[in-house]
Amino acid sequence: MKTSIYLAIPVMLALSVLQTAVLPYFSFLHLSPQLPLLVALAWGLLRGIDEGMLWAFVGGLCMDLFSISPIGLTALSYMVAVTAVLWLQQAFPTSHIIMPILLAALATAIYLIVNLLFLRLFGFLSNIQVITTLWPLVLLNTVAMLPIYWLLYGLDRIFRPRSLEF
Amino acid sequence: MSEAQKRIRWVTFAVLVGVALLLTYLDSTGNLGGALAVVRNPFTAVLSFTSTRSESAAGLLEGPRDLQTARTEIADLQARVAELERENEELREIEGEWRILQDLFNRARQSPEFTRQIASVIGHDTSPSIRSIIIDKGTADGIRVGMPVESSRGLVGIVFRAAPNFSQVALITDNASAIPARLGNSRATGILSGGGLGGPLTMDWVDLKYNLEIGEVVLTSGLGGSFPQDIVVGRVIEVNRSEANLFQQAVVQPVTDFENLEIVFVITNFQPVNTAIFDNP
Repeated sequence: MKTSIYLAIPVMLALSVLQTAVLPYFSFLHLSPQLPLLVALAWGLLRGIDEGMLWAFVGGLCMDLFSISPIGLTALSYMVAVTAVLWLQQAFPTSHIIMPILLAALATAIYLIVNLLFLRLFGFLSNIQVITTLWPLVLLNTVAMLPIYWLLYGLDRIFRPRSLEF
Repeated sequence: MSEAQKRIRWVTFAVLVGVALLLTYLDSTGNLGGALAVVRNPFTAVLSFTSTRSESAAGLLEGPRDLQTARTEIADLQARVAELERENEELREIEGEWRILQDLFNRARQSPEFTRQIASVIGHDTSPSIRSIIIDKGTADGIRVGMPVESSRGLVGIVFRAAPNFSQVALITDNASAIPARLGNSRATGILSGGGLGGPLTMDWVDLKYNLEIGEVVLTSGLGGSFPQDIVVGRVIEVNRSEANLFQQAVVQPVTDFENLEIVFVITNFQPVNTAIFDNP
């Protein structure tokens, strides 16, 4: 867990820079996938709730550095979304295709709802109806989840190979 | 997993939620400004570098279209040799830059009373529900919170946060944006509200006695003292009028292309009027 946080900080900072300075130039319907959220979720699927939660927190804080929303708000939204779906995932059988896709969609929906509620609470939104324009993000994150999950899965296999039992 | 481990997990979750809420509260009450500026400042150079490369990469993706245009031109103008064609392309690049500079100069000439600081856009807001940009000028260049920001075409937004080397600008298209505006011909006043992501700008609270016209220019009214008067914002593209309502609404097409903003001006010598004294009579 300690090594994980030292890895999370540079990875999430790099992803946040990508999110603010690169992805807007390649957006779809003015939206781009939320890379830190997806990476935290994929990491949590591979390494467990505790690490997913921590990565979501760090990722959210890094994202807040480049947003005018109050710092901590995205961290809170990411953490709630990732923890909730990873907790829920324990009740279902492991799958490397269906589960990441479903969880990405669910996590994005939870993130949007929590984030918009808090933005409204802190006066950064005049109305909550803006959520109707944000639903394509669920689709976008769902599409982006599989390559991210498989990339992390591959890296995880390389750096932490499973031992064989006879 | 043992009970103790489970307890540790949920205690960690509760602590992180508490920290996130505390940070949110402290930041929204303005108590973290200095500390966060120190953290954010080093990223200016990284953002500037990354943003420039991304623009070039995005341009490359549009390459085939430009190439097709160029091929058509070559076919039409068969007499031209390759070297001249290349020279022509270079001249076009120069012309594009010259046009931007001319627009900037014209904008400055229209309102010479304002001092402007030119800034490059180096980032966009990471939150999908908020419309803001990051520019490469900050307090070290005289930028302060509340200063209006415009492009060569019209109003862009207002400086929301300023660090030594960069600033965050809330766009007029942001969902929480509300700017007192006036129409060019009918002189009707109203509040221009941002529609958020992909949503239209709307001018609300316009009195029914005015006959709004499609194509009318929308300008800042200067009421409230947050923005100077007569900065162009957009044009009316639709009027929603019903005698059953007390007010009418105009849908406004902004003159600024917010998706492709590269250079903006910050008006540095405009003094916003402090209306806080009226808050507590």
